[in-house]
Amino acid sequence: MNQNTDLLTLRSVSKSYGTVPVLHDIDLSIRDGEFLTVLGPSGSGKTTVLRLIGGLEPLTSGEIRLDGQEISRMPINKRPFNTVFQDYALFPHMTVSGNVGYGLSVRHIRRKEIASRVAQALELVQLGRFADRFPAQLSGGQRQRVALARALICQPRLILLDEPLAALDLELRRQMQEFLKSIQREIKTTFLFVTHDQEEAIGMADRICVMQAGHIRQLGTPHDLYYKPNCEFVARFFGENNLVAGKLGPVQGEQRPIETALGRLVCSISGQPHLKTAPDGASAFAAFRPEALHLADAKDSSNRFSGTIADLAFAGSSTVATITAGTVDPAQRLRLRMPSRIDGSALKPGAAVSLCFAPHEGHLVLA
Amino acid sequence: MSTLPRPSTILLAAITTLVAVLLYSPLFVPIVSSFFTVSHGDVDWSSPTLSTYRALAGNTDILAALRTTLIVGVCTVVLSVVSGTLLALYYHGRRAGRSFLQFIIFLPFLMPPIISGLALLIFFREIGLERSLLTVVIGHTVFVLAIVYRTVLMRLQSMSRTLVEASYDLGATGWQTFWRIILPNLSSAMVGGAILAFALSFDETMITILVTGTQSTLPVRLWAMMRLGFSPDINALVALILMFTVLLCVLAARFLIPRQMATERN
Repeated sequence: MNQNTDLLTLRSVSKSYGTVPVLHDIDLSIRDGEFLTVLGPSGSGKTTVLRLIGGLEPLTSGEIRLDGQEISRMPINKRPFNTVFQDYALFPHMTVSGNVGYGLSVRHIRRKEIASRVAQALELVQLGRFADRFPAQLSGGQRQRVALARALICQPRLILLDEPLAALDLELRRQMQEFLKSIQREIKTTFLFVTHDQEEAIGMADRICVMQAGHIRQLGTPHDLYYKPNCEFVARFFGENNLVAGKLGPVQGEQRPIETALGRLVCSISGQPHLKTAPDGASAFAAFRPEALHLADAKDSSNRFSGTIADLAFAGSSTVATITAGTVDPAQRLRLRMPSRIDGSALKPGAAVSLCFAPHEGHLVLA
Repeated sequence: MSTLPRPSTILLAAITTLVAVLLYSPLFVPIVSSFFTVSHGDVDWSSPTLSTYRALAGNTDILAALRTTLIVGVCTVVLSVVSGTLLALYYHGRRAGRSFLQFIIFLPFLMPPIISGLALLIFFREIGLERSLLTVVIGHTVFVLAIVYRTVLMRLQSMSRTLVEASYDLGATGWQTFWRIILPNLSSAMVGGAILAFALSFDETMITILVTGTQSTLPVRLWAMMRLGFSPDINALVALILMFTVLLCVLAARFLIPRQMATERN
């Protein structure tokens, strides 16, 4: 279980339905034992990636390798992967144990062994008492767990999960996220999890692959994606962000200034070599998170600008201020997130404020 | 309903009851009168009896006709369920030629039976097939195929495509997927379709008269009996057929309502 070896590799994989291309030249490596989330808005091609890997659809071009062996043309029922479908796809005419044991019984494994492995799998997903129920007699969360048990009983190299939590309500979804993560740790199997919900992705994934319009935009840890987005799409899609357009100035060590409507903003470029090599005057965005923005005090000198509070929204533990600043497009307001205080905020809508963010908390993305 | 003023509700109830009585009471007359004897063309209401049923049991013509009906029904059911299911499986999800085929399948069911019957009769004569029970079975199958095809196709369409995908995904072969996933999910639709097909075959008259040889089925026999004049066994026969048909319909409904829905409702 070495997280550094690649289990599965997609090399310049493309897929078209008729003349409509849905995936363009995808390169992706899935490491052995990791929890990889494919995140993207609907229509980004994320489910297609999963269906290609699972063998539910043929590739248009490119190749898929498992342990270095080409498997692009391997039939679906020979691939050592199992899928948890979005609608669970439980067989309605079979009991829970019939469903879970199906993958073993079609391989003609002895009944006794099937029974003991089914019992084990149901124990793992905490459904031991429900073995003789039919799927129609289970709740959504229970069906979900049956689908998971059915997928993992064949001891696949990779479990593919196609938005499995989409149909559950919020509370159940949170529980299932933790549950899935703990199961993954316990059975040490590689999970490929497709979702459009970024909170879900942040909460569970070891690495996240962000997709948009049939392209992979960025692949990295949730931390990397949050703090070092490499393009405007990821910066906007992944969490709340403030983006201010401008032109790059000359590199200053691990920082680089950008001339914007808010004045000169200095941002960190550490660990992002492509921002070091970008030419002066190139169009880019300064990106800083709402929680990085704060009210300036006397000693703050850099990245300082003034603005007007347009709105204040109390959101429990934090309060979000919407701010118009400089000549920034009024439709694109800045957001500032600060801890809520019991005696209320001293700020009022309409108040003029001086704002700033620390250079190491600001980042650049090329336009 | 409660939004209507009270007098109109009462009026509505009265009209509904009247319509129901006028429409459906004739159905009960033969059932009731089957328990009384007829003398001099009049029903003798004074003494209930089972004599009509006894007479029916002794009527070898009718028993022979019943046997013929059952043979034809069973053969028709087997033929139509097998071919209807195969057609539905083949054309499910396939665009090319499907609407044309459906048109062909539905044609004999929608056309006046006398036209279907005549077409078949001419066809059998052209290919030199003697009229017999075989031609009756073929005629009935052509007639009821639409029902079985439609029933099975509807079930196939309501079946999630991911069930089949899940089966392959779990390592099953195409054959295993068919026998263990597709067929079990179709079975109740097939049974329901079979019962409907049997009920249709049971009382099909027009086509049968045209394409049958020397043997007659129950409805044909009944029709012949009516031509010769009213006989009390007819009441008994009608009562029995009615009961049997109702039973079949109840059974068909049970099988055609998906089991899952039924459980969820409970």
